[in-house]
Amino acid sequence: MRLSKLAVLAVVGLMIWPAFAAPVILNRNLGTEPPTADPALGEDTTSIEIIEQMFLGLVDMDEITMAPIPELAARWEVSADGLTWTFFMRSDVFWVKYDAKAGQVVYDLDEKGQKRPVTAHDVVYGVKRTLDPDTGSNYAYVLYIIEGALEANEGTGSLDAVGVKALDAYTVRFTLIAPAGYFGQIASMWVARPQPQWAIAKHGDAWIEPENIVTNGSYVMKTWVHNDNLVFVRNPYIPAALWGGGNIDEVHCVTIVEDSTEFAMYLNNELDTLDGPPLPEMDRIKADPVLSKQLNIRPQPCTYYYGFVTTKPPMDNPDVRKALSMTIDRKTIVEQVTKGGQIPANTFAGGTIFGNAALSPEIAPWAIDAAGWDYDKAVTEAQRLLAGAGYPDGAGLEIILMHNVSEGHARIAQAIQAMWTKAFPKARFIIETQEWGTYLKTITKETPIENVPHVYRLGWCQDYPDQNNWVHEVLNPTLGENKPRLSADDPYVGAAIARFDELTTQAGRLSDPVERAKLYFEAEKLLIDEIVAIAPIYYYSYNIMNKPWMTRKWHDTPHWDTWSIDMELKAKG
Amino acid sequence: MIQYLVRRLLWAIPVLLAIMVVTFFLARAIPGGPFDFRGDKQIPETIRKNLERKYGLDLPLHQQLGRWIWDAIRFDFGPSYASRSQTVTDILKRTFPISFQLGVLALLFALCIGIPMGTIAAVKQNTIVDYGATFAAILGVSMPTMVTGPLLMWVFALILGWLPAARWGTDYTQLYLGFFPNLLSGKFWLHAILPSLTLGLAYSASIARLTRASLLQVIREDYIRTAYAKGLPGRRTVILHGLRNSLIPVATVLGPMFAGIVTGSMIVEQIFGIAGMGKYFVTSVTNRDYPMIMGAVLLYSVLLVGANLLVDVSYAWLDPRIRYD
Repeated sequence: MRLSKLAVLAVVGLMIWPAFAAPVILNRNLGTEPPTADPALGEDTTSIEIIEQMFLGLVDMDEITMAPIPELAARWEVSADGLTWTFFMRSDVFWVKYDAKAGQVVYDLDEKGQKRPVTAHDVVYGVKRTLDPDTGSNYAYVLYIIEGALEANEGTGSLDAVGVKALDAYTVRFTLIAPAGYFGQIASMWVARPQPQWAIAKHGDAWIEPENIVTNGSYVMKTWVHNDNLVFVRNPYIPAALWGGGNIDEVHCVTIVEDSTEFAMYLNNELDTLDGPPLPEMDRIKADPVLSKQLNIRPQPCTYYYGFVTTKPPMDNPDVRKALSMTIDRKTIVEQVTKGGQIPANTFAGGTIFGNAALSPEIAPWAIDAAGWDYDKAVTEAQRLLAGAGYPDGAGLEIILMHNVSEGHARIAQAIQAMWTKAFPKARFIIETQEWGTYLKTITKETPIENVPHVYRLGWCQDYPDQNNWVHEVLNPTLGENKPRLSADDPYVGAAIARFDELTTQAGRLSDPVERAKLYFEAEKLLIDEIVAIAPIYYYSYNIMNKPWMTRKWHDTPHWDTWSIDMELKAKG
Repeated sequence: MIQYLVRRLLWAIPVLLAIMVVTFFLARAIPGGPFDFRGDKQIPETIRKNLERKYGLDLPLHQQLGRWIWDAIRFDFGPSYASRSQTVTDILKRTFPISFQLGVLALLFALCIGIPMGTIAAVKQNTIVDYGATFAAILGVSMPTMVTGPLLMWVFALILGWLPAARWGTDYTQLYLGFFPNLLSGKFWLHAILPSLTLGLAYSASIARLTRASLLQVIREDYIRTAYAKGLPGRRTVILHGLRNSLIPVATVLGPMFAGIVTGSMIVEQIFGIAGMGKYFVTSVTNRDYPMIMGAVLLYSVLLVGANLLVDVSYAWLDPRIRYD
């Protein structure tokens, strides 16, 4: 009798014990105040990181392949002509909020006291709100592939005419203006996520403040003291299938900008994980037996490059451009100058983007010491090219290289200036700098040619992991930003430019991944080897440090619900 | 005196109006607008136009200026372009008290270190004490806060572990009268020491140098000699008769120093992760966040005008010969 009572007590105790266990808390630095938590307005990695935790998308992206995988949509269908995409949504996801009085996450109830499921209508509303000119979303342009989206956003067409429809409560259909193999990636983006119409109507721009916000993702915002800290708690109502398998109950975020301070807090165990230790500390971290084990270097979907203005003599000659690109010693730059684990680049799009050709020895092998090339051989070849173009040893060549004011960019520019001067001793290479906003204005294709430099520096980070966002949107001569001012009328490489134009446009419209990848490969090869519109320098990397008790997954936008903390290990320090 | 104050306050109005107009045009004279770029990327024309229409930037300049002055008089600066869920007034209301707390503590540190150090240096002129103090002052002036901050953090937080590494120790949402921290809270003081000391050290050095130079002049005056002659003890002479008179130049620089220090030091706030308003002076300009530029500049100007007025009034107390008629 007694024994059985004890047993019952023990069982009950074991069952309720987890409720008394301390919550698993992640201490994280966001690195800066998130400018917004509104899915329609997010544009920077910090905002997108918190939006990702709070709002589910129709689809998510696979951690490794970057291919679309089910999230709110359990499955989807693409019509044979590639113009209609139909998503079939699950019906067990509900809108929730944090109730400060009750101190817990609760369902958001409608006027009748009913739970509100996340429906196709919320998706339609979200897409249309992003496109509404009054919302002022500056990421709305990624949705222009949807029928009527451009016109609605310009204010020339009606929002009702936008090609997104709820067929029933859980089925949503998109109609596109052209087949787009990358639409799955677009559907995963924050600008296309369901948004709570009633909460936005009630609170206006302040709907994202913690007392007003209504969300549906893995974490719910509890508090947000602007510029200081944010606290998120786990959403207990999310379907198990959508939970990423992590064990973190609460995420306490701070917004420390200074990386040396962040590093001090990490060393003091005030942070569990750290994105980007200070560069001057990198040598010490790598040499330290304990810290070096906590360091993870991950590729980041960003590329650092120099662009060539192809209409400004002497840069109009592709041989000059190629000679300059060849004499950038990329290995020395990443090993001696930037030192952050970056990877020398031979293409525009890096290895985490669909359709990339990164590190292929068939493209600009001299940039990555592949196919029998090394830097000395590249310099010899470059000198031959420049002599052939009429500038032996660089005689008569005067090149202006411009970058925005920044210590890091200056160090890279000075290193490259020294490399060029050594290879072409009779040429003059002048470095000019401008403040960021002014600089960006200067290098657009509208600036009069006498005011633009010959060479400009930029970085590109993806909006979505597809080449369409890279070679097409940045460099396509007719539809892209085209800062190098490429034109099919180019007297030297006009034909290659026309072909490049056709390739990137065509590849965006196809839906067969194999075919698309082939076209993008050819486009990259033309871009870097023949047209030489840009000189890719390196692919960025993330330097992430984790305390021994911390386990992270590597989605490009962090998914906190996949992270874990070993509390026993943490308690030991 | 009252008449003088009223006259000065009335004069402040055209001064502030002029500052507003000049700031308005200067902000717009910087190339580029708030919605031209997103990070590295150019914002498409359509979207830029949408945003400009939303925030009234498509109106003719004189209308924008009129609107801005009218709104500013009512303390309504509009939403910040860089953080659209908040208005500039919200941001200033939240961040200014924090910067103010830091600034006042730093200024106290600066005065408590600077004035005694300057006094000792002057009294013991050309002795080892003077050289030591002068050397320390030069060091203080030349060492930027971006060096002293991390250095102090490294020593006191990481090596000794006595103080927290960063952040400000008040609950930002619970300030007394919306402005003052809980002074009885140990957490507040522990967090306050390093940042206030870092910021204060930089200013204490210049205060010490000024005090020394000015006191050196004063202690050669006849009335000091008289005080000594009639048998007053040295300490009393220097502090009561000498120091008070020699503080006029110190008070003069204290006005603008105060306005500068309480509107925040971008660097110290950034190093210690303090949510003050310092960073907005810089980021508002780089973001072309016009409403934020306006709000920050106006707040700074009001403080500057006010602080200078206080300084002028304090002259009468420091030197009773000064009259304001």
